[in-house]
Parts: sequence; C-alpha cells; structure tokens
Amino acid sequence: MKKKWWIPYAFLALPLTMYLIWVIIPIFQTFILSFTDWDSVSPTYNFIGFENYKMLFYDYYFLTSLLNNIKWMVGFVIIAIPIGLGIAMLMDQKYKGSKFYKTMMYLPMTLSFVVIGEIWTWILEPNHGVINEFLRGIGLGNLAKPWLSDPDLVTYALIFAALWRQISYAMVLFLAGLQSVPTEQVEAAYVDGANSWQRFWYVILPALRPAMIIAVTVNVIDSLRAFDIVFVITRGGPFYSSSVMANYMYIESFNNYNMGYGASIAVVQFFITLGFIIWYLINSFKKEDNL
Amino acid sequence: MKRGLVFLLVVIFAFSAFAKTKLVINSNQSDPAPREAFAKVVALFQEQHPEYDVVLNTFPHEDFKTLLRTWLNSKEAPDVVTWFAGERMRYFAEKGLLLPIDDVFADKPFEDYFPASFKSASEYNGNIYFLPHTWYWWSVYYNTEVFEKYNLTPPITWSQFLHVCDVLKENGVTPITIGTKYLWPTGGWFDYLDMRVNGYNFHMELTAGKVPYTDARVKKTFEYWKQLVDNGYFLENHSSYTWQDAASFLFRGEAGMYLIGQFIKDVAPENVKDKLEFFRFPIIDGNVGVYEETPIDGYMVPAKAKNPEGAKEFIKFLASKEIQEMYASELGRLAANKEVTPPNEHAKKGLDLVLASDGVAQFYDRDTDPEMATFGMNKFVEFMTFPQRLDILLKQMEFQRRKVFK
Repeated sequence: MKKKWWIPYAFLALPLTMYLIWVIIPIFQTFILSFTDWDSVSPTYNFIGFENYKMLFYDYYFLTSLLNNIKWMVGFVIIAIPIGLGIAMLMDQKYKGSKFYKTMMYLPMTLSFVVIGEIWTWILEPNHGVINEFLRGIGLGNLAKPWLSDPDLVTYALIFAALWRQISYAMVLFLAGLQSVPTEQVEAAYVDGANSWQRFWYVILPALRPAMIIAVTVNVIDSLRAFDIVFVITRGGPFYSSSVMANYMYIESFNNYNMGYGASIAVVQFFITLGFIIWYLINSFKKEDNL
Repeated sequence: MKRGLVFLLVVIFAFSAFAKTKLVINSNQSDPAPREAFAKVVALFQEQHPEYDVVLNTFPHEDFKTLLRTWLNSKEAPDVVTWFAGERMRYFAEKGLLLPIDDVFADKPFEDYFPASFKSASEYNGNIYFLPHTWYWWSVYYNTEVFEKYNLTPPITWSQFLHVCDVLKENGVTPITIGTKYLWPTGGWFDYLDMRVNGYNFHMELTAGKVPYTDARVKKTFEYWKQLVDNGYFLENHSSYTWQDAASFLFRGEAGMYLIGQFIKDVAPENVKDKLEFFRFPIIDGNVGVYEETPIDGYMVPAKAKNPEGAKEFIKFLASKEIQEMYASELGRLAANKEVTPPNEHAKKGLDLVLASDGVAQFYDRDTDPEMATFGMNKFVEFMTFPQRLDILLKQMEFQRRKVFK
C-alpha cells in the first residue's frame, strides 16, 4: 500500500493546534502588549511605540535583575557542570552501594523548586537556620551571616540553593552521556598506556561532546528562566537586590498593574533565551553533519 | 442501547435545568481563625437560602491580590469578593468593573447600618460599591510579661517611647519586631510617623500624590524613624521575615513591641493571647491631632457577576446586625454595623482608642496608588537597612511619584 503523505500531519494536527493556541499565539500577543501601556484592568490601551523598552535602560531594578540573571548563568555553567560531570564519573563506576549513592544524588531532582525554596528558607534563616547554627557550633560564628537580608549576599545564597538541584540535573545528563562512550576506545587507550587523566581528557570528554552541549544549553536556559526559588525565598527582596528578570516581570505585571512594561521584560528575556537556543541548534546540526 | 443514551441525556438535561443557581464567593480570609469564622457565616446563609448553591473559595492573601483583577475581567467572574475600602476599591470602581450595591440600602439607608464616616471609603461617584464588614485598629502591641519584668509602663510621648526601647535593648531584648519580607508592615511605621509629625491632611495629600516626597516635612518624618533605626531598635535581619515570623519574636518574649493590626491576635498561640496588650502610637508633637490607622475590610460585587441578585442578597445578609455580631465576636474584631457592641474588653479598648482620635487613615497601600505603594514600601525597607541613603531614596520616591501621578 502506498504511504499517504498526510498521515503524519493528521497525527500532528492536535498537538500542533494546542501548541499554536498555548505557545505561539501568546508569544505574539506578548510582543504586541509590549508596545502598549495596558494596565491589565482597563478595557482599552494606547500604543506607545518603544517607550517601554527605552524605560528598561533607565530602570535600576531591571538592570539589577539582568545582572543577577548573568550571575545565575555563570554559577550554573561554571559550577553545576564541572561538579555534575565529576559526580557522574564517580557514579559511573561499579562498586558496592553505587545504586544507593546514585539515588541519593538524584533525589533533589525529584523535588519541585517551590519545595526546595521552602526548605532553603529554613536552612538560610539567620537565627536558627542550619547553616548559621552549624557555623556557630564549630566556632566559626563570625562566618554566620544574614544570608537572605544582606543585599550583597542574597543572590549568591539563592544560586547556592538552586545549584543543589541543578548539579544533580547535570549529573543525570552526563550519566546518560557516559553510556554512549564506546568502551573499546577507552580500553584501547588503556592498552596504549594512557593514564586515567589522559583517558578522561582525550577519550571520554570528546565523546561526551553532545551531552556537554545539552548540559550547557539546558543550564543556561534554566538560569535565564529562574523564578520559583527567588519568588518563594525572597520575592526578589530585600529591595529587589535578589530580583531576576522573571521575578521583576511578575511584580511589574501582576503587582504594579504594568502589563505592557512587564511584557517588554518578557520580550527581552525571550530574545536572550532564543540566542542560546539557536546556538544549541547550530551545534547539534554540526554534529549530525559529521556523522 | 440507543434508548438508554437518550434517557441519560434527558436525565442530564433535567438535572441541569433544575440545578440550583450558583453563588460563588471568593475570599482572602486564609488565616485559620478568620477562615473558620467566615465559613460559618457562609454555611448559615446556605441554610437560609436553599435556592442557591453557595461555593466558597479561599485564597492566600498575596495570591488573592493578583488574582482579583483576572476575575473582575473574566466572563466567569465570581459573585462576591472580599476586598479593602478606599482607594483599593475605587481603582476598580472607576474602571467599571464593580456593580453598585445601592439597592441593598433601598429600605434602610447606609447610615443606619454603619458610621457615617465609613461612607466616603465605600462609595465612588455617588454610588456605593463596598460593604464594610469588619475593621480593626493598628497600634503598638507589646508583651506584658516583658514589660513587667523590666518595670516598664506603656509610653505616651516619643521620649518615653525611646526610653522603653533603650531599657529593652540594654537587657538584650529586641525593642521592636518587624517582618519586611512582604514589605507592607513598613507602611504602618511611615503612616503613623507622618501623621504624628505632619498631621492627617498632609498625609492624605502625600498619599494622593499631591506633595513631593522631597518636601522637608517628609524628611522630618523619616528623621524620627531614623532615630529608631540608628539605635538598632528594630529586629535584626527583618527582611528575612514575614509578619507572622516577626510576631513569633514578640510571642516568645524575645522582642518587646510590634506596630501591627489587631489581627495579630489571630495568629497568637492560646497561652500568649492574654499577654498581648497595646498602647496608642506615641505622641510626637502635641500640636498635631491624634490620628489612627483603621483599615476596613469588606465585600464587593463584580460587574460581571453571574448571579447579581444572589450576590446582593448575600451582601444584605452580611450587613445585618446578627451576622456582623457573629463574625466579629468570633475574631474579637470590631463590626462595621454600629449596633454591634465590641465583642470583648480588648475590642472595647480598641474602639475607645479610635473614638478618641481626631481622624482615621486606611493604610499606606490602601490610600495611595498600588504601583507607588510597592515602590515606596521597597524604599522603606531599603531605608531601614541603609538609613544613610535617605536623601537619595527620597529623590527616587519623588521620581516615582511624578511617573505614577501624571
């Protein structure tokens, strides 16, 4: 029987329609909204051109949020990825109880960010929080800090809390990647007299390239859309010092009745994220060409 | 088979045709005590009005604030919502999102139910849009056990107040607790200081956006606040805490005083409730009148309500003496209905405090524009952390005022 060309499209029709309604159309609506002064209550609004975007450049709180997103990104890439890779290498060995440790390492992944936020609110609590109690207990009381109310520390405290989960995520990605590293090559390198560091650096790491690209991209995107933890633990406070773009957009849109302005923040965030996705797609196509 | 299907359809149709009209009430009374009290009120209404199918949805305060606008604009609007009197209500009324409830007062005028002064906070453009339900007073709450231990008496003037703070601090007790994570407790401090220093009229002009924040009088207000901040009288790391977290310092006796509303009693453990007393916010300038903060909570009907008749019926039910009495006595608050006497000694003391005042304000975030309120209260928290930034903070607030009140 001859294959009918339209069959795959018939199966795709429903998901594509839903994707259109719930994702594509709202994106365009957000674009339109970002050129208006809509307050989310009035039935009408005015088009004000690029006014919202111009305002972003003068908005100290938006710039703080953008800078904080960059801190998140740096933390997610240069901390979560190497540590996640290191743990994945350890977990990939066969030894007694390896399954148990693997599960332990994987556990933070199973918690939602809201739960993680609640847990870390208590861990970071200045008076009776676990971290400060521990530091005082071992005689390092002067290192006990008001993690959530010191504007210079709070963003790092939040990134630390998020990393707890993000590292285990990176680990899972690398563990999956390690399954596809050809054992013959590693054994061949061993026979050729390469030491373990050389085997890792010249054989395993290049073979992990696809996993690495995915891990970097996913981490970058996760850092850009950071919201849950910030919202649960500090709501961006004190006075916006721990705010990130998504959080600031939420406050502007839903607390301050500036739907148009909030939309312009969303659009900026969209384009930054889009840049990284394009970078990811280009890299993955390159990989396919090599095959 | 086919006949069975038809029968089923007929049954479904019959049920939906005779189904009772729904009455949807969305409430922000999410703390356990008020939640329970309101559920009782709703249950009683359901009992008396079996023709309605009453649905009560309760949402946490902070979520309710953002969801309300969605509901008011949606086709599936609820029939009755809880909300705040004054500017907060007017913001929606002027956009045509609320239904006037004047019919409710057709046979018995508003003034026969409530104090005349509540009317201005409940109306817009000559129509009534808001039903006052309960109200409460703000005051400086203190832990009587702590005061007794250090032989302190409630202060009346500012210098006495500073003395109390001083004694508490010397004894290792945090003089004043406050939780600024959700910003609004700072609004109470600003309102009271400004009303004590500059009086009611000035404060109302300021919140209405008619006076610049860089005005010397505003700065004077902050200078009194600065005395407390500079002396370290406030709870350390207050921006890590919610208002409930901060209250627990007072309950445990680790802090002495808390400028907060009567609702602190809702969250106090049973064994602490009797140890909580309050005194009038200290007098700073004897030539300025005495003003208090008394936010009014109540109900509104969205313009798009599906069941406006039922909604008005419920509103009328809520206005009645019996229901207001029942709810107020359950919580120890003051009922808006003037025939209801204060439910207990504590509430009577609160009522006397308000009756002896020269005027009342709602609250910073109810008297001013919402965007200005978020911005301003963030600046208050920043001020309480970095008081040396005062001048620049005032300039930033002034910049925002000009942006908001164009």
